[in-house]
Amino acid sequence: MSSKATIYGFLFVGLAVTLALIVAPAVYAVSLSFYQMDSFVGAPKWAGFANYAAVLQAPEFWRALVNGAIYALGSIVFQVILGIGFALVLNETFPGRNLVRGLSILPYLLPTVVVILTFKWMVDGGIGIVTKAVEAMGLPPINWFESPGAAMASTILVSVWMWTPFVTTCFLAALQTVPQSLYEAARVDGTTAVQRFFHITLPMLKPILTVVVLLRAIWMFNKFDVIWLLTRGGPVGATENLAILSYRHAFNLFDIGGGAAIATISFALLSVAVLIYFWVFPLEDD
Amino acid sequence: MTNDKTMTKPGGVSRRTLIKSAGAFGTVLATGTIGAPAVWGQGKKTIRFLNTETSIDSIRALKVACAEYEKQFGTQVIVDSVPLDDAFTKVTTSLRGGQPYDIATFAFVGHVLLLQAEGQLMPLTELTSKHKWGPKILFPVKDEVYWYPYDYNLAWIYYRKDLYEKHGLSAPKSYAEMLKNSQTLTADGRFGSLFPIGSNGATNWLAPGFMWAEGVKLFDDKWNVTLDNAEMAPRVTRYLDFFAELYKTMPSGASQASFGEVLSNFSSDKVGHAAYAGRIIEALERNAPKLATQYGITPYMDSTGKAKAVNHGYDGWVVLKTPNSDESMKFMKWFTENQYINFLHTAPLHFQPPRLDVYDDPRWRAHPLIEKHKEAVETMRGFITDKSVILTSIDTEGPAPDLRPGKVFEGFVIPEMLQNKILKNMSSAECIKTAADKMRKLIA
Repeated sequence: MSSKATIYGFLFVGLAVTLALIVAPAVYAVSLSFYQMDSFVGAPKWAGFANYAAVLQAPEFWRALVNGAIYALGSIVFQVILGIGFALVLNETFPGRNLVRGLSILPYLLPTVVVILTFKWMVDGGIGIVTKAVEAMGLPPINWFESPGAAMASTILVSVWMWTPFVTTCFLAALQTVPQSLYEAARVDGTTAVQRFFHITLPMLKPILTVVVLLRAIWMFNKFDVIWLLTRGGPVGATENLAILSYRHAFNLFDIGGGAAIATISFALLSVAVLIYFWVFPLEDD
Repeated sequence: MTNDKTMTKPGGVSRRTLIKSAGAFGTVLATGTIGAPAVWGQGKKTIRFLNTETSIDSIRALKVACAEYEKQFGTQVIVDSVPLDDAFTKVTTSLRGGQPYDIATFAFVGHVLLLQAEGQLMPLTELTSKHKWGPKILFPVKDEVYWYPYDYNLAWIYYRKDLYEKHGLSAPKSYAEMLKNSQTLTADGRFGSLFPIGSNGATNWLAPGFMWAEGVKLFDDKWNVTLDNAEMAPRVTRYLDFFAELYKTMPSGASQASFGEVLSNFSSDKVGHAAYAGRIIEALERNAPKLATQYGITPYMDSTGKAKAVNHGYDGWVVLKTPNSDESMKFMKWFTENQYINFLHTAPLHFQPPRLDVYDDPRWRAHPLIEKHKEAVETMRGFITDKSVILTSIDTEGPAPDLRPGKVFEGFVIPEMLQNKILKNMSSAECIKTAADKMRKLIA
């Protein structure tokens, strides 16, 4: 087989898989948004743009959009700041560094449901270990989920706990590509550690920072499992994002068309956001 | 150097013969294997059963029953077990995917009605008509019954009898008494009560009982929302004001509490009152045997001490219209006649029988836990036979079985009304108006 045939062979297989597993379901989901359907059983009724109109007029949609943005922004900021901080520490030489590096990735390796259930039992108001510890210290109980703000903060906290190791690993890998000669030259010039961070480390991390922030933004904006398992979007919708709202419409409220419309709008918003992001922070070839 | 001949031993087999024999054996095996599915398919029927009772005892009982059925009648019954929340999606997607389940378990009448309206269900009247049933459980449509309810999961209030005796309290009959008792038990590292208020099924099931006792109706006879009308609004206000006070006697985390938290808090002696069905007694027997004789049960009460209620809950099986419907019907007939009580015994106090004959059946009564807790069992029976006990729930409200109350249930309208009152300190009037508006929107 010629090399050209091999290339086309692989291209064909890749395209076929993408078409079957990504494009076709996405097109189907978009098509559902134009129908009124109680469930997947029975004949769908053509609804045109009625689902979109209903969704865009619903205050729940705008609330979910804002919640998703707050959750994504809050999670990313803390994950990136802590991720860079941990990566800088783990990039230094100290005894047991490899062990600490291995342990630091642990929260990311745990299944989401394990992390969430662990957290929920730790902060359980009656028997949680954190609750008991706080009580033993004579402090007032912490209401982790009792107000809209606290619930959002708790959700962000768990997300930061889970995914900071991923960000740390990315930055740690990137840090190891920064030539030491740059730091040595800077030291000769009498720079401080802070100056070296802002003038050498951070600019060298920019490409990976761009990708990590983009990936985290997409993943956090679409995040379903953590929020669903932790708060189910409550209290009073305070942590409900577009992914959860879409699911609830489709599978709880007998409104599959509405759920598909929300998912389609979410997809469109993210696509636009990604384009703007790459326009503002272009990835350079060299 | 050796050859085929030199490998032959006296009385042995040559390599050539061995290869030939293996080839022939392989051909026979392959032919047989390829042909087998067709023969198998002709001789053996298979039906698929979607189960949502995920305790190991219930799954085991179902699988043993299915194995017995296969032994007797040659029909294989494959049991898939999924969490309750996933059942409807599994069933509808299996229908759409062309490989439908033949039998499925549901815990929400709206799902049954929806499938029935689409012509997907077999009527089960011939099975249900053989027995006398408790109230509000068959949900007939045009004189036909489309499911076989296997249990009630009514929610009532548990309290600690030993603590009541210690503090000189009696079973609460009114909001004021309930509040006083709960406040009294908030001591010694224990909280007075736990009733969930989060946006989840536990709140829908365990929190509205006080509201039903107060006489609140969500809809009138024409499906108009009545929650905020002149008659209901004051009742809902009393319920919300009471619940806000009761909340002060609960541990933090009630806004996230679900079934597990309610069970664990009561059975680990952390709260003095909780609501649930019979599962709590089973949990006490398993995890806190000392407390298993120290609980009392009572229905939800109203503000005046005159009315009482339990929150409705139920599960049942449906038979779907598939190419295997006849076989599925035969299985259901056999199962409900021969294995039903065995199945009930897998959660002897939680699976409260909706069939009234079962209460007097010595086979059912013979279970040690039913025998031991016969006083509680009689009280549970009274909840469905005593006509003065209000039996309702969000999803069964309204003039007839319908999908609309199901949307109110799944929209978490009542949980959010509680959250607005308790967590956002909204006035009761505002909470009621918000809830009623949401209901109208959901059922539009």
